[in-house]
Amino acid sequence: MSDEPLLKLEDVTRSVRLPDDSELHILNGIDLTVSEGDHIAIVGRSGTGKSTLLNILGLLDRPTSGSLLWRGKDAARLSAKQAAHARGRDLGFVFQQFNLLPGRTALENVMAPLMYASGRDFWNRRKLATEALERVGLGGRLDSMPQTLSGGEQQRVAIARALVRRPRVVLADEPTGALDVSTGRAVMELLDSATVDSGAALITITHDSNVAALARGQFRLDSGRLHPLSEVVVR
Amino acid sequence: MNALARLATGFAAALLEAWQELRIHKLRVLLSLIGVTVAVASLTTALAGAGMARQMMTESLERDGRPAMITTYAFDPSSDGGPQGDDSVAQAFEKTSERFKIDYTTMIGRSYGQQVVSQGVALDAETLVVEPDYAPMHRLVISQGRWLESEDAQNLSPAVVVDQNIIRELGLEGQQLPFTVDLVSNGDAVSVTVIGTSSSRSFGMSGQLWMLPATYEHWFSERAPLNEVSYKMWVPIEGSEELAMHFGQQMQAELPGYTVDSHREDYLMWGADESLKQLALVVSGIAVIILLLGSLSLLNVSMVTMKQRIREVGIRRSFGATTGRVFFSVMMESVVATAVAGGLGVLISVALVSNESLLNMVLATELDQMPPFPLDAALLGMGVSVAVGALTGVLPALVAARVKIVDAIRV
Repeated sequence: MSDEPLLKLEDVTRSVRLPDDSELHILNGIDLTVSEGDHIAIVGRSGTGKSTLLNILGLLDRPTSGSLLWRGKDAARLSAKQAAHARGRDLGFVFQQFNLLPGRTALENVMAPLMYASGRDFWNRRKLATEALERVGLGGRLDSMPQTLSGGEQQRVAIARALVRRPRVVLADEPTGALDVSTGRAVMELLDSATVDSGAALITITHDSNVAALARGQFRLDSGRLHPLSEVVVR
Repeated sequence: MNALARLATGFAAALLEAWQELRIHKLRVLLSLIGVTVAVASLTTALAGAGMARQMMTESLERDGRPAMITTYAFDPSSDGGPQGDDSVAQAFEKTSERFKIDYTTMIGRSYGQQVVSQGVALDAETLVVEPDYAPMHRLVISQGRWLESEDAQNLSPAVVVDQNIIRELGLEGQQLPFTVDLVSNGDAVSVTVIGTSSSRSFGMSGQLWMLPATYEHWFSERAPLNEVSYKMWVPIEGSEELAMHFGQQMQAELPGYTVDSHREDYLMWGADESLKQLALVVSGIAVIILLLGSLSLLNVSMVTMKQRIREVGIRRSFGATTGRVFFSVMMESVVATAVAGGLGVLISVALVSNESLLNMVLATELDQMPPFPLDAALLGMGVSVAVGALTGVLPALVAARVKIVDAIRV
C-alpha cells in the first residue's frame, strides 16, 4: 500500500456566478485526504454542496480555487483527456438513480465501462462483467433488462459496473437514496465489502446518518464547509 | 505499437457502441433511415440505369462502327453504279492504309438480293462481304461458334456467320455448329457452311450474314454482283478527321479516273452521347434532392434523439469516455446506420435494374444481352450513404461532445 494519498483537497472552493451577476459560494476551504482503503462518509442536508464536492473528487468538475491533488499530481494540470482516462481507469461512480443505460441488459451495462478500456480488459469484457455481476449476486440475472430488476438489484448492477475496472476510488452519491431502509442497508454492506475486497477507497455522500455510520471516517458538510465527525481511520 | 493498438481498440469499441445503439433503437433508426434508403436506391438506380442505358445504346450504336470510323468510297464517274470495289480500288485502299499504318481496316460490300434456305423455308438476307477486322470494328458479338478468319477463304464450302433472325426464322435454334444452309442468288443455290452465329438481330424480318471477300468473289460475284462497296478504318479519335482528309487525297492519287471520298462516319460525330448525359444529369439531380430531404429528416431525428440521450452521454463520460470518443461514437452511429441503409438501397437498386422483364418494360424493347449492373454506381451509392451519415452525424456528435458531464448526469 502506497503512503501517497489518492486524493488530497487543499483549501478547495467552488462558486458559481448567478444570472444577477452575484456569486454563489458552494464550497469553502475544503481540506480532505483520501488514501487507499479508506471508507469516508460525507453527510449533509440537501443543497449543502455534497454532490459538487463529489464531482470535484471524481474529476467531473474543477475547484474555483485551492488544489486537488490526484495521486500526487495537481488535477488542474490534467487535460480533459487525461482526466477522462483517470476517471475510466481509477474511479468508479455509483449514483442515487442507478443511472443504468436504458435498453441494455445488466451484463451490457457492466460491460459498458470496459468499452473505454484498452487491451485485455476490452477484449475480455464479457468475462470480467460476468464475474463482477456474480460477485454482487446477480450471476443469474445477466440478461435482465433494468426495468425488470428491483431497485436493490439495479443498484447492485451499478455497483458491479463501478467496480468492474478495479478502480482505486469508488464515489457513491446517495447510493441508498432511492431504496427502502433494509435494501439500502444491504446495498451499503455490499458496497463496503466489495471495496474492502478490491482495496478501493470508498467515498459515500449521503444525508442518511445510518448509512454514514458504516464508514470509518465521517464528515459533515455544512454551509460549504467540511467538519470531521470522527478521525479518518485506515482499514 | 501500443498507441496503434489503443487506436485500433478505440475504433473497434466505437463501432461496437454504434452498432449496439442501432440495435437498441431499431424502430427509430428504421424510421429515420427509410428516407436515406429510398434516396440511395433512387440515386443508384438513376446512375446505374443511365449507365446501363448508355452502355446499351453505345453498344448498339457501335454496331455501325466504333469511333473513330473512317469510311472511304471510290466512284467511277463514267459508270452509273454505286461505289466501286474492283481490284484497283482494293489495291489502292490497301496500299494507302499500309502507308498510314492503319491497324484495323475492312472492306464492306453489300448484296441484297439473296435468300437463305433451310428445310424448305426461305428468308431474304443481306450479305455483308467483310474482312476479319470487321467484328472488332463493329462490336460484333459471336454467341455461338466463331467469327471469320482469313484462312476460311480456302474452305471448299463457303464459310458464313449468320445473325439471330436467320436462326429463328429458319428454325435452326439448337442446331450443332457447323451446319449447312443454301444461299440462293438469282435462282442458283450454293450450299454454305454456317461457322458462327452473332448475337445481333437485324431490324425487320430479313436476315444478315457475313462472309469473306474472297469467298464471295469465288462463289457469288458473277451471279449477284455487290450493290455497293466501301472501306472502313478504325483509328484513334484524335486527329481522325485530318487523317480522313489526307487518306482520301493519297488514295485519290493512287486511283486516277476515280473520285475518292474519305470521311469520318460514327455516332460520336452527331453527338448521340449528349442526350444520355443530360438524362443521367436530370435523374441524378432529382435523386440528390431526395437524398437531401432524406438527410434532413435523419438529422432532425438524430438531433431530437440526442437531446433525449444527454444523460446517457454524461454516464459514459463518467466511465472515462473522452470528448473525442463521444464525438466519434455518435458520428459512427450515423455512419453505420446510413451505411446499412445505403447497402439496402443499393440492393434494392440492383434488384430493380437487373430485373430483365422490368427493364424491357421500361425501355420498351427486348434486350439481346443484359448489361451488368455498373459497379461504379453501387460504389457511389455506398460512398454517398457513408458521406450522408458522416455529415448528418456531425451536428448531434458536436452536441454530445459539448455536454457538461455534471449537468448531464443530473438530467
